[in-house]
Amino acid sequence: MTKKKKFMDRLYQDLQERSKELNCIYQIEEILSNRNDESIEDIFAKIANVIPYGFQYTEECESKITFEGQVFKSSEFEETEWSHSEDIIAKNTVVGTVTVYYLKDFEKLDFGPFLKEEVRLIQSTADRLGHFIIHQRLKTVIEKLESTGTGAASSGDGQWRVILDLLRQTDSNLYLSVSRKILNFLCWSGIQEAEKLIQTFSPEETTYDEGDPETWNQPLRRSAHDYPVDFSSAAFAVASKYLTDNEILRMLHKWIQEDRLSFLVQVVNRNLSLSEVADAIRRYYDLVADDPGASSSNKRGIQVSLIRRFLSDQLAYINVAKNFIGIRDFYHLLQNVIFSSESHGKLGGKSAGMYLAAQILKKRSRENSLLRDVKTPKTWFISSDVLLHFMTYNDFEEVVEQKYKEINQVRLEYPHVVQTFKRARFPSDIIQGLSVALDDFGERPLIVRSSSLLEDRMGAAFSGKYKSLFLANQGSKKQRLEALLDGIAEVYASTFSPDPIEYRAERGLIDFGEEMGIMIQEVVGKRVGKYFLPAYAGVAFSRNEFRWSPRIRREDGLVRIVPGLGTRAVDRLSDDYPVLITPGQPGLRVNVDPDEIIRYSPKKIDVIDLESNSFKSIDIDEFLKEFGYEMPAINNIISVFHDGQISKPMAMSVDFENDQLVANFEGLINNTQFVKKMELILKTLEETLNTPVDIEFASDGQDFYLLQCRPQSYSGESRPAPIPKDIPENRIVFTANRYISNGRVPDITHIVYVDPEKYVLLSERNEILAVGQAVGKLNKLLPKRQFILMGPGRWGSRGDIKLGVSVTYSEINNTAVLIEIARKKGNYVPDLSFGTHFFQDLVEAGIRYLPLYPDDKGTVFNEHFLKSAKNILPEVLPEFEKLSDTIRLIDIPQSTDGQILQVLMNADLEEAVGILAPPSSQYESPVVRIEGADHHRDDFWNWRTKMIECLASTFDLDRFGVAGLYLIGSTKNATAGPASDIDLLVHFQGTPEQLQQLKYYLEGCSICLSEINYLRTGYRTKGLLDVHIVTDSDLEKKTSFAAKIGAVTDAARPLKLKSQLPSPED
Amino acid sequence: MNKEAFNPFRMAQTQFDHVADILELNEPTRDLLRNPMREYHFNIPIRMDDGTSKVFRGFRVQHNDARGPCKGVIRFHPQETIDTVRALSMWMTWKCAVVDIPLGGGKGGVICDPHNLSAREQEQICRGWVRQLARVVGPLADVPAPDVMTSAQHMLWMLDEYEHIYGNKFPGFITGKPVGMGGSLGRTEATGFGVVYTLREALKQLNIKPEDMLASVQGFGNVAQYAIRLYSQLGGTVICVSCWDQNDQTSYSFKKKDGIDLDALLKITDRFGGIDKDKAKDMGYEILPGDAWIEQEVDILIPAALENQITVETAQKMSPRVKVIAEGANGPTTPEADKIIAERNIFLIPDFLANAGGVTCSYFEQVQSNMNYYWEKDEVLGKLDVKMTSAFLAVSDMARKRKLYMRDAAYVISVARVAQACSDRGWV
Repeated sequence: MTKKKKFMDRLYQDLQERSKELNCIYQIEEILSNRNDESIEDIFAKIANVIPYGFQYTEECESKITFEGQVFKSSEFEETEWSHSEDIIAKNTVVGTVTVYYLKDFEKLDFGPFLKEEVRLIQSTADRLGHFIIHQRLKTVIEKLESTGTGAASSGDGQWRVILDLLRQTDSNLYLSVSRKILNFLCWSGIQEAEKLIQTFSPEETTYDEGDPETWNQPLRRSAHDYPVDFSSAAFAVASKYLTDNEILRMLHKWIQEDRLSFLVQVVNRNLSLSEVADAIRRYYDLVADDPGASSSNKRGIQVSLIRRFLSDQLAYINVAKNFIGIRDFYHLLQNVIFSSESHGKLGGKSAGMYLAAQILKKRSRENSLLRDVKTPKTWFISSDVLLHFMTYNDFEEVVEQKYKEINQVRLEYPHVVQTFKRARFPSDIIQGLSVALDDFGERPLIVRSSSLLEDRMGAAFSGKYKSLFLANQGSKKQRLEALLDGIAEVYASTFSPDPIEYRAERGLIDFGEEMGIMIQEVVGKRVGKYFLPAYAGVAFSRNEFRWSPRIRREDGLVRIVPGLGTRAVDRLSDDYPVLITPGQPGLRVNVDPDEIIRYSPKKIDVIDLESNSFKSIDIDEFLKEFGYEMPAINNIISVFHDGQISKPMAMSVDFENDQLVANFEGLINNTQFVKKMELILKTLEETLNTPVDIEFASDGQDFYLLQCRPQSYSGESRPAPIPKDIPENRIVFTANRYISNGRVPDITHIVYVDPEKYVLLSERNEILAVGQAVGKLNKLLPKRQFILMGPGRWGSRGDIKLGVSVTYSEINNTAVLIEIARKKGNYVPDLSFGTHFFQDLVEAGIRYLPLYPDDKGTVFNEHFLKSAKNILPEVLPEFEKLSDTIRLIDIPQSTDGQILQVLMNADLEEAVGILAPPSSQYESPVVRIEGADHHRDDFWNWRTKMIECLASTFDLDRFGVAGLYLIGSTKNATAGPASDIDLLVHFQGTPEQLQQLKYYLEGCSICLSEINYLRTGYRTKGLLDVHIVTDSDLEKKTSFAAKIGAVTDAARPLKLKSQLPSPED
Repeated sequence: MNKEAFNPFRMAQTQFDHVADILELNEPTRDLLRNPMREYHFNIPIRMDDGTSKVFRGFRVQHNDARGPCKGVIRFHPQETIDTVRALSMWMTWKCAVVDIPLGGGKGGVICDPHNLSAREQEQICRGWVRQLARVVGPLADVPAPDVMTSAQHMLWMLDEYEHIYGNKFPGFITGKPVGMGGSLGRTEATGFGVVYTLREALKQLNIKPEDMLASVQGFGNVAQYAIRLYSQLGGTVICVSCWDQNDQTSYSFKKKDGIDLDALLKITDRFGGIDKDKAKDMGYEILPGDAWIEQEVDILIPAALENQITVETAQKMSPRVKVIAEGANGPTTPEADKIIAERNIFLIPDFLANAGGVTCSYFEQVQSNMNYYWEKDEVLGKLDVKMTSAFLAVSDMARKRKLYMRDAAYVISVARVAQACSDRGWV
């Protein structure tokens, strides 16, 4: 402990010193940038007084600046022997010095009594003054130039001579450079005299001689560059003969401008470190105080290099970015970038995406005032290679090997890796940078996000794989810094977490370097009670993939919004719902009935608890009761439910303790510019970036903040599926071409088809209700997400049940796709429900919705197949046999020689198709192989089968009174995924005691299997075995699971048991 | 295979014919009551948000107004069939008659799906509906109320349009308004309390005291909660309630042998009547499957959730101890199960009598609105008690004297009252 404390004390002391130094630099900057009409002398005198404040023993410290023979001293200056001095250099000549003196003898440190950082402070002060002097000189030249520029034509000749003279006195390099340029110009123009001049001043030069074979293969010798000064006057003497004064003046003007950029070109084109580039940009910023605006190819080149250097090397990105990010923007950006001295890294995908989006909106706000108040939160960045630097610094090289290990080992060791990272030390320059960042942020809560280079390369598909952490950022500076370092270490460690490693391995990206940038962003929001939270936040998509009404177009977009932190809108939660808005048509709401509105409104709110320094999800009702009065913009968020009516609150009228409140954002939608602004932002970004986008946003109740922007992600199976052409007609079950969303549902084994014509003919209300009950039972019985429901009109119809099968969400929640069929009746086609009765449940569960219009031209509806394939309903649910005219249950593999059904949906093409195909999805478009196709899929069921066979082979039948074990469900059907359980059917004949024992035994097995599965896949399940016990009487009655044994479809597979093992037939 | 498709209106007519036979009604009366008096079908053209026009179909059916102005809900439904509407308007006539309030039966709506409409567009539809019908509806002619996909908000838009047209205030034109905007206090309690007022009278007649009676309730929504509250105040004990669990997507029964504590349960119940299973377990409740409510060793069953809950199958599971079933929900018992209940001699309070507290309170709302004077809650509930009690007594009287099953008795009484009114007016 004491060791740690000592270490921390020292660290703290160091940090204090660093902050003093930085303060000093800031003050100098301030003096230099706030100069009005002060003379150089006044400015230098001021600076001499500031310098001592950057030193350890400020009281005993004095400084002196010399410049062109003048001396500037701090107030109580005294010359002593304990000093350090650095030269002020302008354009390669020493023009002065900066010297610091201690009045006393202090202990010896890095350089005499000075710390190495202090020496660096003196150096950088000298550098800065050097730049300043150059700037001042150039300014004089340019002022002169400009004053002559316009009047030159009339005021006659000789003006350029003044400028040239000035140049010779102040900047000999530039003077030579323009001389060289004018001479070259004259040569190209074919002026003999100029060529002769070149000959004269470079006697050794050999011209290319065709006669000399030896020169053929060797490079020509360069002409000498070190022209004597009088060469310049000679050159301009020639020039004045052949060119008009105005021409010369114009050329001088241009070359001097170009010179301002020259150093930047050199820097960005060479592979220099970030700090050198940053330095060069700062010089540029200082020199070119007012952007000339004239876009030269030079400038464009630098811009592109800088974009590539810091942000992204993706061409699509650069193409857009170069129009929106100027060189001067990098000056501001780099002030918030933390990097180590040798760093060559980038900022990473997330940072690049956000920065570009912000710049685009900023530029576009000139045309549209709605965008003017879009803000971005204060953000600091850590360059991507700092991670490597950090690892080298701590000798963590061996951690890199993690990724080549077996995935279960990676998973096992990951907690250890996290702890190792958290214990590690950060290089001091990084700590220093973070310390400055913390001063900038103050005690605002922060979010530390990863910004991976892979994300940049892979697009959004890779996002979300690495960690993001919220930090309350409360307490003393020391505590806050520790927490920040801890958070960054954890985010760093997530590079080696199993999920991204597995993801990379699958896609052949495992050898890609693990560089990861970090984005430290202040959390948008306000303090409410002991909590910190935004008024509201969420995500928005420029394309709406979940349309709940046929009136909504894809390009109307979609917003998922919640009160508090946006985490609840970003993720899909099974037990809570964000509010959905489609910005193109804000009037069309998913939920319209007060009951629906309340049911599908957010129930919880995510906040940062400033007292316990933690992230929390709390009950929204309780939160509002306690803090409703303090919550910003609350009247735009909630409505009051009273006596059957949901109404927007009048200001001051809400009684937070007693009113029933619903967070439905009516106020925000109807009384503010939010929707318009959102629509504009999405449209602007989509148009400019040339791709659909998704953004994250938040508001503190006053301002709107953009938090992130990236191309709209199609995670997993929700990307547009390629639609194969030329499928033989007999393999198509249906096609659709209206209101299509994106996605692909492979491996469907069963169709539940409610025949629309037969359904309307049902004459008894009870029969109609029975259809719903039968569907509910099938929903429990059929393999989850491997069957589809097809039926007439509106599923879940509540009023008039003839319009569609009357079901609740729980009766369809296992289906993969919900299909509504609209058959023409007379001359009109009925409206479909679009799943509105449980729309938000479908969205959050990822169940697809598809409307079919079989009577539309150009669609296929294979009624023949649906009606002629064997209907196994009577065998599966004998009690519903009388409905087998209406409900047809089709076992696809059985009816088609082992094929399965695939549903492919492509919203871009507005096309969807259900086709019969060989299993495990090899029938795909010949051109495109869908990324992420589950080549792991076989693994999951194989492993499960192996494990369960092993369990069966050692199972003690007598001890537990068991007659047989059977496998059903996804493992038997070879469709198990990483989180699937193993459905085990146990035929039990023993005593109640044996049953209890059996349950304990299997529970143990279940937990063990679950743990092994977790190590393999990372999926946590409560247990892996789903045990269904059936008794003899069940078998007799053929109740649901017992019916599986020896069933016609989806029959249970008997497992080989211990006593049966040596059986000769096997 | 030539059987006809399901038709609710045909069903309602068959039911009426059965009662008409019992009452030996003459042919003109049957003709009058078998079909609605009037039907209105009309267009409502709307300017949509995007500037285009769209025409919606509206309608209103007035089944019978012999006993007073028609009363009936108005619903927005994408594909309403006229036969469903006719059936429901007829049903409304009987329902008003059974509690003996001076109103007839009506029903209306607009063919539309509000999910495809903005609030502004819905408002236009409401106002368009009233403009088309202003001459034939009104506080003294036909009084609408909210239903599927229509709410208090729609009622206020309609009321506002109606008052615009006539240039005066007519709060009695519509019911289902919020309190303070012409609504009545006590509406939340009305249906649940109504169930227990009739139950109380039934127990009196059976000569048993509520204190000795155990009850089991299906559902924990508005109706069930107030039924349990009043029943407990009468001294009775509820030992089991069942409710839907949103997370598990299934229902559970919650049992406590010495009686559930309503207020404690309400603290762990969401807005939809879902009880927190884990917290209930901590509070000592036994968690049973959803259909276990019907198997309990109790004297009274109150199904107050869904239709078709007491079937041939589940009726077998009822304890021999069960003496009374009070139907808080609509249609909880299938016709086949009715036979079992009758055989076992269980006392049944049929749905359209037991849950008529709601419509009675709507009537009170209208009365208060018409005089523009609003009663305190006590007064509303007191008057409700009087109405429900006398309605019950009339039905049970009829059942006893004429040896009718309670459900039939209730129908007989209401049809008889309406037929009488038609006759008194000299219509038939």
